Amino acid sequence: MSEMDGGLKLGQKVPDFSLTTYEPTKGDFGKFSLQEQLANKRWTVLFFYPADFTFV
Amino acid sequence: MGCDIVTVSTDTQFVHLAWQRDEKELAQVKYPMGADPTGKVSRMFGVYDENTGLALRGTFVINPEGTLLNSEVNFYNMGRNIDELLRKFKANIYMAKKTNEACPSKWKDEGDKTLVNPGAKMVGKVHEALNA
Repeated sequence: MSEMDGGLKLGQKVPDFSLTTYEPTKGDFGKFSLQEQLANKRWTVLFFYPADFTFV
Repeated sequence: MGCDIVTVSTDTQFVHLAWQRDEKELAQVKYPMGADPTGKVSRMFGVYDENTGLALRGTFVINPEGTLLNSEVNFYNMGRNIDELLRKFKANIYMAKKTNEACPSKWKDEGDKTLVNPGAKMVGKVHEALNA
């Protein structure tokens, strides 16, 4: 089973990834990139949820 | 705190836009809403449900070096407690500064009792260390 299937373990380096985003403050689309976060020395909290238009 | 929150679901950015504009509860939302319609990122973190194509309620903290420090995953029907998330996040920041200390279960904020230099000497003496 590859890392991609099983989920990352604590203490592991997270492989770089990016996501297209909607930015409510700008009312526009944007991009999130882990690499950019690390370059800017920022902490990241990822908050997954099942679906829009449901209760979160 | 030098931290960015990104919410992620398998919806597209277009649906995120429509939902945020439509749902009044989300009027104050400021964080970016990530779109993971292929489930690639959700799979990477082990929260992708192959049966539904949805992501489970997972929360992950990544430090500025790119290391995964916390993971919490709840099934569909259990919401997350923001106080517990904040507690863990504050503890991470604190321990990043004080690398010889550990935050015990009751630790809530800076100033609370920590375990300093946990090691052989503390074995069997945690009670004494916490109540010193």
